[in-house]
Amino acid sequence: MSQNQTIQIGQRETTLIGKLRLRLARRTEGRAVVLLAVVLIVVSFTEPLVFTAYQVSLGRIALIGLVALGLTAVILMGELDLSVASTLAVSGVVMALIPDVRLGVVVALGVGLLIGFINGFFVAVVGINSFIATLGMLFALRGLAFILSDEAPVRIADTDAGIAFGLAIIGPLTPRVLIFILAFILLQIFVSRVKAGREFFAVGGNRQAAYDAGIPVKRRIFTGFMISGFVASLAGAINTLERTAADPRAGLTVLLASFAAAIIGGNYLKGGRGSIVGTLIGATALGVLQVAFTLSGVQVPVQEIFIGLILLLAVTTDPASLRAVVGGIRSVFQGRLKFQS
Amino acid sequence: MAKETFTEVITVANSGEADVKKSRSALPWIADNGIFIFTALLLLFAALFVDGFASLVNITDVFHRAAPIGIVAAGMTFVVISGNYLDLSVVAQVATSAVIMLAVSNLYGVPIAMLAALGAAVLYALINGIAVGYFKANAVIVTLSTTYIGVGVLRFFSGGSIFFGPEDGPIRAFGTSKLGPIPYSAIVLIIVTLVLAFVLNRTNFGFVVRSFGSNESATRLGGVNTGLVIIGAFFVTALAAMVAGWVLAAFSNTAVSSMSTGYDFQALAAIIVGGTSVFGGKGSVLRTLLGVIFVSVLTNVLVLSNISFGYQQLALGVLIVVAVTVDALSRKAGKR
Repeated sequence: MSQNQTIQIGQRETTLIGKLRLRLARRTEGRAVVLLAVVLIVVSFTEPLVFTAYQVSLGRIALIGLVALGLTAVILMGELDLSVASTLAVSGVVMALIPDVRLGVVVALGVGLLIGFINGFFVAVVGINSFIATLGMLFALRGLAFILSDEAPVRIADTDAGIAFGLAIIGPLTPRVLIFILAFILLQIFVSRVKAGREFFAVGGNRQAAYDAGIPVKRRIFTGFMISGFVASLAGAINTLERTAADPRAGLTVLLASFAAAIIGGNYLKGGRGSIVGTLIGATALGVLQVAFTLSGVQVPVQEIFIGLILLLAVTTDPASLRAVVGGIRSVFQGRLKFQS
Repeated sequence: MAKETFTEVITVANSGEADVKKSRSALPWIADNGIFIFTALLLLFAALFVDGFASLVNITDVFHRAAPIGIVAAGMTFVVISGNYLDLSVVAQVATSAVIMLAVSNLYGVPIAMLAALGAAVLYALINGIAVGYFKANAVIVTLSTTYIGVGVLRFFSGGSIFFGPEDGPIRAFGTSKLGPIPYSAIVLIIVTLVLAFVLNRTNFGFVVRSFGSNESATRLGGVNTGLVIIGAFFVTALAAMVAGWVLAAFSNTAVSSMSTGYDFQALAAIIVGGTSVFGGKGSVLRTLLGVIFVSVLTNVLVLSNISFGYQQLALGVLIVVAVTVDALSRKAGKR
């Protein structure tokens, strides 16, 4: 955030266009908007069925988006939670194992919070890099999901609840989409209006400065990981309810897409910059793309190649990455010039 | 690494031997030497209490299974020491190399197959290396995406089918040959480990990789082309994964795109348990070999005791987290 303020001090824009330009320069969602526009244009020509069957598309967007929203909270602080895929699987299996659906959902969400707490503990207290800590958790929890489910999908006891959950309740919107919208609004308010949420940016932007400013950095890291764990387990519970069974292998396909959504959404991996809105746009683009692929019968490997390419593109077209490349090229030429003179 | 610059500099300044000696905590000692004791204890336990461990057939089997993982781990040690966490795409690389080896050698012979596999390895190293080294992108995310791209490409072209080698071909002969109880694949593992240990400890490139891992900006200010160093580290990993793919293809005489699932994770476990630091700058290839022995024997003991796949995954995941915790705490203890 500090960078944006330095822009403001240097020039005070008074004209309408100037103000608009300043406002645009502050946003981080540029790449997501471009991707969404490209996807929408291409899809509307090749597979207009995506918009007709918008319920399917919305459901897909909600699944990717929900996991990506939790990730965003962690990425804002410059950390990463790779364990979301397994959290989704474990909480889904736990939910399916408990006969009572309501109790099952509550316990599953509790499991998500607990996993988030453990992740937060390793990152904030022990001081392990979150990439490695959550990678270890990713594998350990996947093992746990296999153990709990005996390596086979678990059916939920109350199938009626699952079917009822899949029906639209308000207009065309299913509960999954409503929960996603609610989660989006809550997180958006938390990150942009609540002090604790605003402090996420400070923790990610400059951790030392955040310590010095008296921000409880460790508590914020705990909060972030618990949000991410909670949201992932919410996605797991919803997934299990809709499919009326929990698959211990679930989450692996969502992992890649939700990472791509969060990163192309302008959330800077080293922390401090990004937005929930960007994640929403990114998730929309990827959800529409996936549904379009499925509807037009594209093979799964090709889908994986495409999503992988988008993730690779997202992580290399980061403003900081581009600056590093441009700086590298420039320094090469400067070196030559200096050598001549 | 903007946010970590402070702590990085402090740790680097204090990571000398003298500070470790000053601290009273046992953790740095465990982090450095624990693997020797734990491996010895595990071997002792397995030999005494696990039925069927100490048989010639089983030992040969352990060697066979450890060889490809060990070769991958030896190469990946370079990426870990350079401070880039890990290379997840080894899964795709090993499978690609194995599939190319069998599919191409059936048509054009072994030398052409080797060249084709080398081409794939170079491609992987360039994509990973340029994205991480020049675009300064996060290695975990980059290699996660290249894993999916690589496996996707492989599955697309192979159609998910299984490739078989000829029963009497040179590949099969290599895969089944043994020197006493030791299969050829284990000998390849030892040769690769020794060569990479030499490269890491005795060559300019190895020195630069280690120095990059302990202090990135100092290495750059020292006039090193750091982007090339990272490409080099990924290239070593890709070459090792390529050799591992050959060994795996020779051993099983079949190749399929999903054959190397879990290699990323087992190799990482071996590297970290061996005592190479995920914080970069510290570690050795010979230690990774020890870690590979530990992880392979542990997996073998679990399999022999009829413990299910889920518990094996859980055990390895917990192992990684514990090993990294010991490493992190010992760094803290050494700092004080």
